[in-house]
Amino acid sequence: MIYGVGYTHSGVDFYKRVDDDGKTRVFCVAKHPPFQDWLRSNKDNLPNDIQAKVDDGMLTIEDAD
Amino acid sequence: MTKAAELAKMGEVLTNSQIGGRRNMIINGACQVAQRGTSSTGLGGSAPGYTTVDRWQMSVGATSAGRFSTAQVAVTDLPGFANAFHLDCTTADTSIAAGEVLKIDYKIEGQDLQQLKKGTSDAEKVTVSFYMKTNKAFTFMCELDDRDNNRVNTQQFTTTTSWTRHVLTFAGDTTGTLNDDNALSIAVTFFLHAGSDFTGGTYSANTWQSRQSSDNMRAVGIGSFFDSTDNDIKITGLQMEVGSQATPFEHRSFGEELALCQRYYYRTPRYINSGIGANESIATGNMDGSTVGAFLIRFPQLMRDAPTAFEQSGTASHYSVRVTSDANGTSVPTSGDFMSDSAFVNLTASGAGFTSGDGAFLRVENTSAFLAWSAEL
Repeated sequence: MIYGVGYTHSGVDFYKRVDDDGKTRVFCVAKHPPFQDWLRSNKDNLPNDIQAKVDDGMLTIEDAD
Repeated sequence: MTKAAELAKMGEVLTNSQIGGRRNMIINGACQVAQRGTSSTGLGGSAPGYTTVDRWQMSVGATSAGRFSTAQVAVTDLPGFANAFHLDCTTADTSIAAGEVLKIDYKIEGQDLQQLKKGTSDAEKVTVSFYMKTNKAFTFMCELDDRDNNRVNTQQFTTTTSWTRHVLTFAGDTTGTLNDDNALSIAVTFFLHAGSDFTGGTYSANTWQSRQSSDNMRAVGIGSFFDSTDNDIKITGLQMEVGSQATPFEHRSFGEELALCQRYYYRTPRYINSGIGANESIATGNMDGSTVGAFLIRFPQLMRDAPTAFEQSGTASHYSVRVTSDANGTSVPTSGDFMSDSAFVNLTASGAGFTSGDGAFLRVENTSAFLAWSAEL
């Protein structure tokens, strides 16, 4: 399972979760808790499109609870 | 129990207002609702989250070799209960790295916990009760995890191969008030497997303590659910109530529980009278251009907050747009304009000669098709 940049709706960025079978079953906003968990776990090896969002300040990796 | 003791117990129950009104702070404690489905396999490689039974979340820490499945299962040997949450170990892991953990989390909003008077001199005791049955005796840990103040209180319990009602009364905590909002304040957590990051400290039963600098006291002395593929756990009848007495489980109707669960997760179609059939219309809207149908979904309950995620089956042809005839999707549906009461769904379906402005239905074309929104804590 990996996340990537999905689409923009009414100015809000949505990210896609691509499952191991290649299917996209989840779209989420930046603060979706499982997405943030994944970002924290993979912060040193993010896909290029996600890393670009982080570098541009469009996506923030939040501290854990 | 003597008559005097029974009267004393009843007096405390009355004093704590445990009779009358809603006692149980847990939603879906009897595992009646499973909007996501009744079984989920191959879990453990990444954070599983919510898998089957609503409101019951599975969490893992560092990557473990252990794998498991979850299910909503029928109960036939515990009078008064028809369903349970079932965990089955499918791949064992006996080499436990420090950061490994497997736990069940039940998360509660702060605004629903103000009656605990936490962080005041009048802080109330809290009693957590539940029925559990395992394939062998395990010692596990039940924890109240105050996420607002990074404070925890833990109590061990030991399971048996028969259904046993475990009753754990937690001390009131005079430190750390809970935020009066719709965010996570307390998690009721069951530790089922953990490495030294969670077990290396000292166990202090029923004592509130800070986890500001360490988590190593949270699962001290527990067994491991991953020590054999023979292992399985069934749990149901989870109740959390104010006071030091465990009153009988507060049963609620399926309709009540479903509505309460839909504050956090809503899936359609689900629990339709005849099951989920093909060619079922699930929303109305209009064509926004000649290929894109735009549809408004009104949620049946006000959700906790604007959803943070939208789910669908992952197959475009499971969905169609209908004006006067059906045209299957050419890409999976997307959703946006998330509000706590509604969201828009767009589906692209080309080649049907639609005209912008046409009224349209959004339909599901396969029994696996669904749309869902999550506002879980």
